[in-house]
Amino acid sequence: MRLAPGSWSGAQTVTCMPANAQHASASPSQPALVVSGEGDQRALQGALEISTLVAAENALKAWSQPGPSRQLDVALLDSLDTPGALFLCGLRDKGVGLVGVSAEHRALLDLIYGLELKPIQKVRIAPRWRQLVVQLGKGAHDVRHEVIEIIRFVGRAASWTVSALLHPACLRPASISRHITETGIHALPIIGLMAIMIAIVIGYQGVAQLRPFGGEDYTINLVAVSVLREMGVLITAIMVAGRSGSAFTAEIGVMETREEVDALKVMGIEPMQVLVVPRVIALVITLPLLTFFADIMGLIGGAAIAQALLDVSPTQYLARLPQVVDGQDLFVGLVKAPVFAFFIAVIGCMHGLRVTGSAASVGRETTRAVVKSIFLVIVLDAFFSILFEKLGL
Amino acid sequence: MNTRANSSGEPILAASGIVNRFGKQVVHDKLSLDVMPGEIIGIAGGSGSGKSVLLKTLTGLHSPDAGEVLLKGRPVQSIAAAERAALIGVLFQQGALFSSLSVAQNIMLPLREHTLLPAGQQEQIAAMKLALTGLPADSGIKFPSALSGGMVKRAALARALALDPRILFLDEPTSDLDPIAASGIDALILQLNQILGITVVIVTHDLTTLLNVCGRIAVLVDKTVTVDTADQLMKSDHPWIRDFFHGPRAEGAIKARDTSHGN
Repeated sequence: MRLAPGSWSGAQTVTCMPANAQHASASPSQPALVVSGEGDQRALQGALEISTLVAAENALKAWSQPGPSRQLDVALLDSLDTPGALFLCGLRDKGVGLVGVSAEHRALLDLIYGLELKPIQKVRIAPRWRQLVVQLGKGAHDVRHEVIEIIRFVGRAASWTVSALLHPACLRPASISRHITETGIHALPIIGLMAIMIAIVIGYQGVAQLRPFGGEDYTINLVAVSVLREMGVLITAIMVAGRSGSAFTAEIGVMETREEVDALKVMGIEPMQVLVVPRVIALVITLPLLTFFADIMGLIGGAAIAQALLDVSPTQYLARLPQVVDGQDLFVGLVKAPVFAFFIAVIGCMHGLRVTGSAASVGRETTRAVVKSIFLVIVLDAFFSILFEKLGL
Repeated sequence: MNTRANSSGEPILAASGIVNRFGKQVVHDKLSLDVMPGEIIGIAGGSGSGKSVLLKTLTGLHSPDAGEVLLKGRPVQSIAAAERAALIGVLFQQGALFSSLSVAQNIMLPLREHTLLPAGQQEQIAAMKLALTGLPADSGIKFPSALSGGMVKRAALARALALDPRILFLDEPTSDLDPIAASGIDALILQLNQILGITVVIVTHDLTTLLNVCGRIAVLVDKTVTVDTADQLMKSDHPWIRDFFHGPRAEGAIKARDTSHGN
């Protein structure tokens, strides 16, 4: 903004109201800044503060460009804060002389002028294609490390668990039973409900797909076999990974942030023995039991679907079950459960022990533990399918 | 004390008849405290005497069960948020820096929310606050998790100063710091008070800070405060105040103060 030339006495003035005046409405004494004067001489009056800074800058922008000697009279400034002082220091750098600086303001100006001001560095951002390459390489590197770490930790956990089983004095029954309660008994309602729901979902699909061929009766076979061999154990394992694997990570992670794990080590107590082994043993006991429970509930769900869609009464359903499934189907499902349990518990504990310092790290590791254990459960399930096929089970 | 205390005139912050109770436990009973513009006042008291609750009451974070807090003559809780942010700066005990933002972004947050300054100027101001609190320029891009304890306090102080508040509340500014870092913070508080004229309220039980920095000390005893200069409080015959200022730690701090004043 350029001010029209005029006489000093009748100088043009620009009154600058604070920029955020509309926000701070009910203030009795809003600071205001008056810029007056013309030519090379300007004067500031009022308050040069953070709220009037934008206006002051706009009013003096054109005037303060480098040029012949100019002077700014600040004798009538009532108040000056640090951004205001920074602004005046900037003007001084451009060759503007400050006149009439009061002692109070001089101290502030000297302080700000004396500061070694460097611009805040910008975080360098690589071009997108390069980021992609970098991320790809980093990802591959991370995967390699993760795999090595998982193998190493699984080995350690297995060796500690076996040695605990060989020396039962090292077992911690209280801790194991607490974890069985938390991971098992408390999970019963949700797992039972999920098993019934899954049986109903499979049942509806079966009826819809088999009816055109007149084979809707085989829905009972479909539901019973898929629940016993796959769905019961898979749903239970995924639920337990989300429920208990994450809890393991969070519990151990919080202990890690509060240096409780270090306290154990200092006292000569091995964290693997007191934190990991009881959880692993508890989950290896719990998951097969939960799976069996899920199988039963799934078959009950099958009974409901048979009654509703096929008009097969529960007694008839019960009589048909031995013809469609046998102990082998139950075994194929149940034998996977302890393996899944071991990996869910170990992954949960591993990520818990990997927590460093901050609370954010607990959340991050918990997410990773859940993703990784569900992924592993499904990969292992695929391996089991191939294995059982080869074995002819 | 070399503070810019201005004992005459209106208090900038006036708490009167403050009652705070939690359940049946009364923490403050008809507590009154006036803070004069430009002074540095310390709030001291034993653990559990309600120092933090008093700080929260004074800053308007906690509504007292009775009584009122007037900031520049107006009830603190009735002041609009943006205006209150420009009047009050708080340094929390753990710093309370936002962990998802860099130090510079932490300082710029109130500027971005409450002013219309362009981004470049916000960065300039942030760089100035960093330098003002004695932080190196390259700490601006660091995240709070990468800072040491002393740097967290300085960065948090820089953020508290972002809008050039008239009153600065410091909650245990020197706790968890080594003596050199703590002395640095003490010197910084004095400098800010003398040059910027900021009124400072310090909650601390660091005797060195209380004796070297604070013009007056408000001691929280018997659910209310006793306010006086350190020299007067030392003559008090209240048992807690006497123990506080004449314990082994106090003697050391007093000796240190007298030596430094002698120099």
